[in-house]
Amino acid sequence: MSLPLGTSEEPLPIRFADEPAHHLAGVPLEFADEEQSLKITGFWMVLVTDLLIFASLFASYAVYRPMVAAGPSGAQLFGLGSAIAETLFLLTSSFTVGIAVWYMRRGNQRAMIGWIVLTLLLGAGFLGLELHEFAVDIARGASWQTSAFLSSFFLLVSTHGAHVLFGILWAVGIVVQVLRRGLNAVTARKVYTFSLYWHFLDIIWVFIFTVVYLGAKIA
Amino acid sequence: MRAELQTPDPSRSTETEAGFEFLNPHFAPERFPWPQVWGYGGSLLLTGAAVYLVLLHVLPAAGLGALVLALAGGQALLQLGVFMHIRESRGPAWQILPLGLSFVIAFALVGMSIWIMTFKWGAS
Repeated sequence: MSLPLGTSEEPLPIRFADEPAHHLAGVPLEFADEEQSLKITGFWMVLVTDLLIFASLFASYAVYRPMVAAGPSGAQLFGLGSAIAETLFLLTSSFTVGIAVWYMRRGNQRAMIGWIVLTLLLGAGFLGLELHEFAVDIARGASWQTSAFLSSFFLLVSTHGAHVLFGILWAVGIVVQVLRRGLNAVTARKVYTFSLYWHFLDIIWVFIFTVVYLGAKIA
Repeated sequence: MRAELQTPDPSRSTETEAGFEFLNPHFAPERFPWPQVWGYGGSLLLTGAAVYLVLLHVLPAAGLGALVLALAGGQALLQLGVFMHIRESRGPAWQILPLGLSFVIAFALVGMSIWIMTFKWGAS
């Protein structure tokens, strides 16, 4: 099967950005523009590949969990209290970014930015709790060098934490852009893809909470 | 097959380029963010239920693990449906297909890793 690009006499099926964006009645701003809509579909593919990265990390965690060497096991190390607090921070931030997109759909830029800022504060709170937990673990001699179990634990959980940190920096950039350029098809698409990213991280965290923290209490 | 994106037309909302009704784009404009409020309440409820079940040890370990994993799966579906607007798209919601495929691959990857490594640890 040959690729149609460049070989076909037909015009390319995809229109490019130099054509004026036409806005459709009843369709949100970020989908009304054809190119931005394609980028949203593309961002779903980013999330799909990211999901597979996390699946690999979950697989290595599941396999290495019994390999505690001379270090503590999950049941000895993990407290449920800080994990529940981190979960509440992320679940609430998922709700607040959902409200931000709802306000964006109504064209209320000020409220949208307010709810995004609240989301980022909750995300920063989550990161603070997680770093504190890591510091306490390491102070107790449970670092990523201690055992295969702890290596896979730190790799899995800190990869998620690094995603949250990136999300916060990314959203700060988007907020600055919205403040400077207002809500248009491009900035609306960026807010929408950020919300997809943030909810995705929430889903990953729910599985980390279930497998790592609740799993340690079950075994 | 041409991949041209079609503008959604409300008058032909029951058919789509893809030919599958579940790929039809769907937008839900709400006067008040009730879906988000219910979604938040539901996510808190699912998490609370998982913690409660684990702390009470209502089942033997294997069954309890499967139950809380199922609750996490429900949480993922809730996030996808309520907050991530998985059915929103300009044309057919193509993202549903690769996302479903990636779930299959992810569960196969984790499940088969655990399965194959039980043979090694079982011997030691």
